Amino acid sequence: MREYEVIRDGNVFSTSFSPSFVFSSEYEETRRYLKSLLARYQGISFNSVFHGMEEMNEGGTCFVQKSRHALSYRAVDYGRFRDEISRDLTLVHGIGLATQKKLNNLGYETLNDLLDHPRYRVDAGDVLSRLSDGNTTEIMNLIGGRHSRSHPCILGTAGMHEPEDFVFFDIETLGLFSRPIILFGVGSLENGQLSVNQYLLRDIEEEQAALLATVEHLSGDHPALVTFNGKSFDLPYLADRLAYYGLGSPADIPHFDMLHFSRRRWKGELPSVRLTALEKEILGIRRSDDIPGQMVPEFYETYQRSGNCGPLVPILEHNCQDVVSLAMLFFHLVGESYGCT
Amino acid sequence: MAVPDILHLLDSVPVYRDRVAHIETTGPVPAHYGNLNRQLSPSLEAYLGQNYIRLYSHQCEAIDAARAGKNVVLTTPTASGKTLAFNIPVFEMLEMNEEARALYLYPSKALANDQLLPLEQMSRFTGIQARAAIYDGDTPQSKRAAIREKSRIILSNPHELHQILCWHAKWRSFLSNLDYIIIDEAHRYRGVFGSHIACVIRRLLRLCRHYGSEPRFILSTATLANPQGFACNLTGQDFISIDEDGSPHGRKHFVLYNPFFNGISEKSAHQETKDLLVSCVKENLQTLCFTGSRKMAELVTLWAREDARFSSARLADSISVYRAGFLPEERRVIERQLKDGSMRGVISTNALELGINIGSLDAVIISGYPGTMMSTRQQAGRAGRKGADAIAILVAQGNPLDQYFMHHPGLFFNRTHEHAIIDPKNPYILSGHLLCAAAELPLNEETDPDYFGNTMADYLHDLQSNDLLRKTSRGWVYSGRGRAADAVRLDGMPGETFRILCHGKLLETMDRGQAYREAHTGAIMLHQAETYVVNAMDLETHTIRVTETDVDYYTQPLKEVNLAILRTLETKDLHGMKCAFGDVEVTEHFTGYKIKRKDTIIGIEPLTLPPLTFRTRAFWFVPPPHVEQSVNAVGLDLAGGLHGAEHAVIALMPLHVMCDRWDIGGLSSPAFGEIGEPAIFVYDAFEGGIGLAEKAYDLLPALLASAHELVRDCRCEEGCPSCIHSPKCGNDNQPLDKEATVLILGELCSEPEKNSSSHTCTTSGVITAL
Repeated sequence: MREYEVIRDGNVFSTSFSPSFVFSSEYEETRRYLKSLLARYQGISFNSVFHGMEEMNEGGTCFVQKSRHALSYRAVDYGRFRDEISRDLTLVHGIGLATQKKLNNLGYETLNDLLDHPRYRVDAGDVLSRLSDGNTTEIMNLIGGRHSRSHPCILGTAGMHEPEDFVFFDIETLGLFSRPIILFGVGSLENGQLSVNQYLLRDIEEEQAALLATVEHLSGDHPALVTFNGKSFDLPYLADRLAYYGLGSPADIPHFDMLHFSRRRWKGELPSVRLTALEKEILGIRRSDDIPGQMVPEFYETYQRSGNCGPLVPILEHNCQDVVSLAMLFFHLVGESYGCT
Repeated sequence: MAVPDILHLLDSVPVYRDRVAHIETTGPVPAHYGNLNRQLSPSLEAYLGQNYIRLYSHQCEAIDAARAGKNVVLTTPTASGKTLAFNIPVFEMLEMNEEARALYLYPSKALANDQLLPLEQMSRFTGIQARAAIYDGDTPQSKRAAIREKSRIILSNPHELHQILCWHAKWRSFLSNLDYIIIDEAHRYRGVFGSHIACVIRRLLRLCRHYGSEPRFILSTATLANPQGFACNLTGQDFISIDEDGSPHGRKHFVLYNPFFNGISEKSAHQETKDLLVSCVKENLQTLCFTGSRKMAELVTLWAREDARFSSARLADSISVYRAGFLPEERRVIERQLKDGSMRGVISTNALELGINIGSLDAVIISGYPGTMMSTRQQAGRAGRKGADAIAILVAQGNPLDQYFMHHPGLFFNRTHEHAIIDPKNPYILSGHLLCAAAELPLNEETDPDYFGNTMADYLHDLQSNDLLRKTSRGWVYSGRGRAADAVRLDGMPGETFRILCHGKLLETMDRGQAYREAHTGAIMLHQAETYVVNAMDLETHTIRVTETDVDYYTQPLKEVNLAILRTLETKDLHGMKCAFGDVEVTEHFTGYKIKRKDTIIGIEPLTLPPLTFRTRAFWFVPPPHVEQSVNAVGLDLAGGLHGAEHAVIALMPLHVMCDRWDIGGLSSPAFGEIGEPAIFVYDAFEGGIGLAEKAYDLLPALLASAHELVRDCRCEEGCPSCIHSPKCGNDNQPLDKEATVLILGELCSEPEKNSSSHTCTTSGVITAL
């Protein structure tokens, strides 16, 4: 049972009709790759392929593989963001671009100035108090509500967090919803490096423990979530699986979904805004031996049926690279707008 | 009054008089009103008052029972106010508890659409915020979240429910406050489809328990023999049944009309239908006519209009067909013309029985028994306006069941109703839904047998070995790659599905057995009563290509059936005859097919298909030795007699158990198995069985008696399509011996003469597992 369509090479036209597709050459190549993996890892035990450890929690035992990756990033110039925001009069209800221009001409440059304005005084006061007292999510909502949810300005709220607060999150699943998550990739900065924890299910039984371990990462001191399409996929999926086991719901933390920011930034400029395309075009990363995300389920199923852990190797690599690229992309976009110079 | 004129016509014109087998007159019955145990709230009282509604006794009973926390199944006729009987308790609950929610399930999207407006009106009128909304495949994504969160009455269908249950986390607020589940037209959920729906409802209830709600049910069904048992099977809950109708009825005449009164028909039954229709329309009766197929509906319309044109062009124009493919606007035009009286005659198919929103008329003509007594009553129920006389006419076809009714009108009007059968424990159906359930919440071996029965655990291990389930500390978890709900088709048995394509468009899907029987290469296949020819059947890709055709011949597969008894589950003794019920394995070899025009064979073609083997449930009986002796003594053919008896029993199964004769199969043998006893087997033609043979086993004396009467009373000499010929016989109705059939069935129905001492029921004598 496939949940994607195999499309003839070069038939870019029909890609727009299929929500999920793989080009046929890629498909064939990946099937061949699967065969070669099975041959290469025949009879080799899980523990000699993966060097991870077991973790225990109230959900049971799960397996985690940890890795560290170099990552360069610029600190966020939070002052620049606050300055920009304080000059954005359109955050006040009833003020559009034209009115802002008029107000500027009248000498109202900042939100603070508006506190003297007879008509906008009250609303401006409200916006200012929300900006000074609100948490990241509230400020994201304030800006998103007046502009758009993918406005680059929203990225500036990243400055309200320490770099170590960001949790880069990507999951691999057995399909589109109501099936197990088989791999949870969670990355965060530690001592200037990106540390990636990958919770891999050796058996479906380990899903609950892996879910709880993952949720633990999202409940830090002042965490903020960074995903690629996580608002429509990873996070609802996580919530769905937690509900499935009756384990409550994930904490409501600030969420930067880089798909939306990337789409706004590069749409029309690049032919595709899929993560793999962006990392190639923008970050200059080339993957080798990668498999299309849509084909992860059949690789995992092959592992389940055969016990041969070869098919897991590219799944882990794929997921790890996704987390690393996601982190790089995030700092790239934030840096572009608000990086310290 | 035109109804008496028609009755006079039927009585005075010789052509009609001969054909009238019976006229049953009922009514008029005055309204019987009731009182509620407790007053309704002022807003609901005002609603009833301003709409001049006084509650009938059965509505009051239903409302009081629902208020008392009981599950209610309401079995009263068409137009008796069933909708109000469940809307009142629901609105009362919505008014009392502002969190309360209700789910209304309808068998089709169209029916849900029809019900939305009345609910909205009631909500507006009473000021009780229901925010009723339809949630089905047509609901736009953008509206879904708001409906889930805000609507307090959601109208949907079981297909949609099947798909959305795995999203239960999004339905938390709805599910945790669900108070009422309303299932309208519940009788539609029977057979394989019903067994699936029963599993879907159990999955829903399991989620309700998870979210802490315990919804009550109100079901409405057409008249059944077993409403309580049926409702219980469908939902797994206990019910009280309310069937005393308090609504008023005018005088009604039900005519049984037999074109085959003397064994042969001069005109086709359809021509006769047309004659009756034109007579009714000429007498100024608004008439609704039901036919078995769309083509017949079109033809009857065409002929009737031609006939009517001799009187006047206006009369001809007042007759119209009512097609399934009509756009809503076209439907509304006909509905309006019926209301203003300019439309006099409307011809429709049985399939549209439920879909027509045209209220009541003066006359209904039913061309051919629609398959169930229940449908007959529903269709005939369309005749009868307030206080006026009404007439319903059933025009018989030449088949055994129609003819049986014509010869036994007493039975037609007085017999107990049919049993609606579902079997949520069919292993093939149940295991599919266990997968779906496991994908919704982990399956718990301790508590979930409440929903899926004690055999649940056996299936779990099977599913685990197929890598579809995994046992974890929280229960059994779905671990398959595909979406579980996609693997289960609600309208068929799981297994290999063949797709039937017409010009590249999917017409329908069939399982392998049905495909072999009805859609082999060269077969003339029926789909929604239209004819298609099968051009190619690809066994590898499971694809069957067909094109429309208009031929005057039909095809009949030839098959050999082998049957092995796997396990005898029950045995009993009936008048000294050994009867049993159990698991069997049936192997059907399709060897070829005949091409026939009417009864003439115009060709035989071979077929090469692999044998089809399936396990199912059967009942069988072994006529005692004295029966065989009687047959031999008068020089009749035992094999032909048993074969005829098998056909007659199968033909009349639908009389007792709601099913189609195509849902069952049979085998007879003068020397079955190692012991070589004569035997007749009747089995469910579905993998795993769906309870048809099981129910018929309980009703065996009545079934044999009716089969005996059918054959005995048929006027033919050597057997005909009205008695022992079967349209689906794999041996081309050979051998058949009508006299031997009558003798055998007669002996099986009567007490044997004074030799009862030798007959004690022991299993040893019955053919047991081979």
